[in-house]
Amino acid sequence: MQLILQQLMPVPMRDSVLSVKSGIWRQTLSFSKGDQVFVEAPSGTGKTTLIHMLYALRTDYEGELLWDKREVKSIDAERLSELRAKHISVIFQDMRLFPELTAWENLEIKRTLCNTVNAEQVGKWLHKLGIGHKKDALASTLSYGEQQRISIIRALLQPFDWLLMDEPFSHLDKENIKKSIALISEVVQENKAGLILADLDENHYFNYTKTIML
Amino acid sequence: MSADTPKYLLRKLLLRSSGASRLWAAWLSLCVGTILLLLSLMIWWNFRELLQGKSNEDSLGSSFITISKTVTDDNMGNPKATLFTTTDIAELQTQKQVQEVGALVSNHFPVIASTKGSLGFSTEMFLEAVPDHFIDKRPGEWNWKEGDTQVPIILSTEFLNLYNYGFALSQGLPQLSQTSIKTITFNLTVGEGDVKDTYTGHVTGFSDRITSVLVPESFIQYANIKYGHHATSEASQLILKVKDPSDKEFVDYLQSHKYSTNAEQLRWSKMRAIVDVISGTTGLLALLLMGIGTIVFILFIELTMANAQQSIVLLLQIGYSPRYISTFMLGKFVPLLLSAILIAVGVAISAQIALSIWAQPMMLRISMLLGWPIWLVVIFSAGLLMLQVKKAVVNALKKV
Repeated sequence: MQLILQQLMPVPMRDSVLSVKSGIWRQTLSFSKGDQVFVEAPSGTGKTTLIHMLYALRTDYEGELLWDKREVKSIDAERLSELRAKHISVIFQDMRLFPELTAWENLEIKRTLCNTVNAEQVGKWLHKLGIGHKKDALASTLSYGEQQRISIIRALLQPFDWLLMDEPFSHLDKENIKKSIALISEVVQENKAGLILADLDENHYFNYTKTIML
Repeated sequence: MSADTPKYLLRKLLLRSSGASRLWAAWLSLCVGTILLLLSLMIWWNFRELLQGKSNEDSLGSSFITISKTVTDDNMGNPKATLFTTTDIAELQTQKQVQEVGALVSNHFPVIASTKGSLGFSTEMFLEAVPDHFIDKRPGEWNWKEGDTQVPIILSTEFLNLYNYGFALSQGLPQLSQTSIKTITFNLTVGEGDVKDTYTGHVTGFSDRITSVLVPESFIQYANIKYGHHATSEASQLILKVKDPSDKEFVDYLQSHKYSTNAEQLRWSKMRAIVDVISGTTGLLALLLMGIGTIVFILFIELTMANAQQSIVLLLQIGYSPRYISTFMLGKFVPLLLSAILIAVGVAISAQIALSIWAQPMMLRISMLLGWPIWLVVIFSAGLLMLQVKKAVVNALKKV
């Protein structure tokens, strides 16, 4: 799946976008499967807006955003859900877990949707990221760091061409960041997928093929 | 989309709305409403069927009545006085209840029916004709044109009954079935003196509605001109299509003009009118209950989905499709709706069987099976309810 941005500009940010030079807004860019893109974005430049637009959660933009040459706005809800389940995955900045479900149930509801990873594997990943003992705790009772790790695992429980990440390690310590990066790299490689990571500061979490200032 | 998604997780996320009592109240209201609707329909249909049984398969039963002028001491010497004039007919047509008037024209020439053989007989008789659409059961071969030697005849069922249970028994003659009569042909000699012809008559059908010996209108018109004593075509009896023959104003009108009709028919009609009112009122009440039940049901669905809005949004964001979610929601609510309707159908079937058994000793034949209009209403209301619920779920999803 190829991602193409043509003169993309978020409508609510028109004034600020017009006043500064951006490597993404109002540019024409093309990302191919396998690319590893880092978007460095200081606060307020529209990092989360970009990830949400790339994931088709927001369509309040001018210009064009194409998934495999198809304008995202023209994709109907049924097709969109299919693409989200099979081709594009996301780690939200605000985690977005179901608070009334346990950590394990939050993963099961995603895992059973696509059935590409078995339950045993999920158990291993939980232990790998050091949250195996929290699997039966309600998501609402987990710390941000624990929620973030659940959110990372959830994003990996489907086949994907692209993994979008919005400050995916903001609540993790160095050790857990390392473990998470190792897991993500492994699954991204298995899927021969590309990734787009948006964060505040420069980092070397992955072997980026492109770095863009937002 | 996988079918393996643990349903209990979706139930946990989507169906946590409190207020199950409201749901069960809506279900009960729907169930009782449907039961009442089916029962009222059942009563209406059974009585209709029963009336048809009374008048022996007369499909429109008491909506048709035959009237004649009462023969009194004053007019008995003057046959013309009992004929209906065009003014009489025009006045009748202005009556509120009268939808159509058809004239029964009788023969104005002598008719003799005769056969030879073991069942040989010869009798003078009369013939009448009525516009075709007033005949309740018109046989396929019901036509006659100049030159035809065969004359089809429709005989009143009452005449056959009179023969079978009165005449035949008293005279030691064989009783005859309708089918056996249809196989008999006889000579029909019409006219007298030099203008006389013999036709072949055969009974092609029986009427419950008209007490007469009917031949096609074309034959009477032709024969009255050719063999008739006088050319009058005034009607001896009239057949009326009436909305409600038991209407008081209409009955008063008939009496004031000294028109006589079948009183039994009027009595049943009155009862049917009462049954219609009762079943109609119950039906309306039932529709009201069903309507309220449906509205509460739909409100409950909307409330449930509004409560689960955040979960639905997140499910869509992680790749669940709107169709999957709506199918899940419908899977929860549709069986509830169906159970209400199935229970109502069960009650109606039991009531029908009970009614049939109860009516048997009274010599009233009521079928053990529900009539087709009841099934039609069941299918229609089930379809309509499903459609409404589906619409509610889809609309609620669109609002998310």
